[in-house]
Amino acid sequence: MGFFSVLGDIYQILKHTFRQVFMRPFTYFFPFEDRIYPERTRGRHIHVRKNCTACAQCVRACPVVAIRIDKEDKMYEKDAALYFDYTRCIFCGLCVEACRFDALFHTPVVDLSEGDRDDLVYGPDKITTLDRDPLEWRGRRFR
Amino acid sequence: MSPDILDEAMEIWFGPQHVSAHGWATKLTLVGDYVVECDPNAGYFHRSAEKVLEYKNFRQGSLVLERMCMLEAFLAEYPYVAAVEKIAELEVPERAKIMRTIMMEMSRLHSIQFWWGQFNAELGFFTMALWPWVDREYSLDAFEELTGSRHTVSYSTPGGVKYDFTDKVLKQLDRAIKRFEDRLPKFRDMQMGSPTFRARTKGIGQYTVKQGLKWGLSGPPIKACGVPMDLRKDAPDPNLAYNMCDWEVPITENPDHPGESDALDRMEQRFKEAETSVQIIKQLLPQLPEGPIIDPKARAKANRLPEGEAYARVEGTRGITSLWLKTQDKAQTAYRAKIRGPCIASYYALKDLVPGAKFADFIVIFGSLDPYPGWWDR
Repeated sequence: MGFFSVLGDIYQILKHTFRQVFMRPFTYFFPFEDRIYPERTRGRHIHVRKNCTACAQCVRACPVVAIRIDKEDKMYEKDAALYFDYTRCIFCGLCVEACRFDALFHTPVVDLSEGDRDDLVYGPDKITTLDRDPLEWRGRRFR
Repeated sequence: MSPDILDEAMEIWFGPQHVSAHGWATKLTLVGDYVVECDPNAGYFHRSAEKVLEYKNFRQGSLVLERMCMLEAFLAEYPYVAAVEKIAELEVPERAKIMRTIMMEMSRLHSIQFWWGQFNAELGFFTMALWPWVDREYSLDAFEELTGSRHTVSYSTPGGVKYDFTDKVLKQLDRAIKRFEDRLPKFRDMQMGSPTFRARTKGIGQYTVKQGLKWGLSGPPIKACGVPMDLRKDAPDPNLAYNMCDWEVPITENPDHPGESDALDRMEQRFKEAETSVQIIKQLLPQLPEGPIIDPKARAKANRLPEGEAYARVEGTRGITSLWLKTQDKAQTAYRAKIRGPCIASYYALKDLVPGAKFADFIVIFGSLDPYPGWWDR
């Protein structure tokens, strides 16, 4: 192992390092930009109440008891209100798989952060829509 | 050992707060720079997985297993699925068999890439830690494209698999394999040719086949001694497609010490494992037939199982992973489940392997056996 071999190694490392300088960064400036998630991403759910039949198969399938159903709360003829507890959910996809009426889907939205723990329980008003209140902090809007 | 030496002995805890001790703690007794006693402690990562399995139905159970070791999630969830399939006597479609095998080998490849980086980070070679991790991202992209999740994949289910391959998934798989194949020879030369790395691993943590088998080691730690012990070849699972392709069990035989392995041999062995995985995937991808990916009656059959018991095992990245499942008649959940992780053997092997080594070599020995805490705390 001579002087030139060490020099060669250093050259190899520097070559790799400088090549990275001209590449797109691997990271994102997160709250302001985000990567494109694949179609199958198991993010937060969306509940289509029009198709729901209140069969409660999603509630039965959930391994961590994250879903609660309220059959009294009806918007259409047969549907029910669902409450998703995202402090418990493990995003396994069993509830979506169990739904035979196209009433429950995963969405590629994975940013669920909230300031308050209670806000992570998505009631019928939040789980049926993807719209969210804008989050502002110190005069900057994050979403 | 004279009592005078032990007067100077110092007991230190390696973990659970140490950066490379994610969920384990080992008590070491040191005299000067040498370890005279090593006492591995389990229990810092305990999540009662076996008890939890008694409360989950047969479709939910595999979710617990994949969380035992998220680095090899496709492999980890399989023993549970296989045990349920045995009791319920489910037929798995041909396409699902091949898809499972491909993803299990991808999982092995990903796990080895992660271990490779982790081991180098533990040794202080951070460059060689980050480069394999960049390649690992490509495997994770493929997992995400296929299942919608990077680690907790939830892929195999009794009777088949949940998600079908799309063109994009196949492209991602191809990209991950090509990237790995392109960069492996270069990285391998850098790794194995590095004099510092060789000096730190050669002759460290050396054991014979006899010792290894006594401790119950399996997988790469025993194959690195030159023993071709591999479940994929020895007991091929009928629901996997290992006999549909042509491959040899990778072994490492070091002419300097035949029948023994040190940390360097185990590194070499894992490169060979990864190469074999790539070889298997490349042979299986063109054989993918058209057809269903799940037995249509599987969902109903796996709802309630007849009385029975089954033992299923798979050759994991770290060794033999197995599960024993007992069910009562028409029960919706398992009566009892017993998991055998591969790492409990390699963790407790430290008790005999470490004494006599230098303190700085402890992490080399530990890392070269590749134990994952999830597998001994269940």
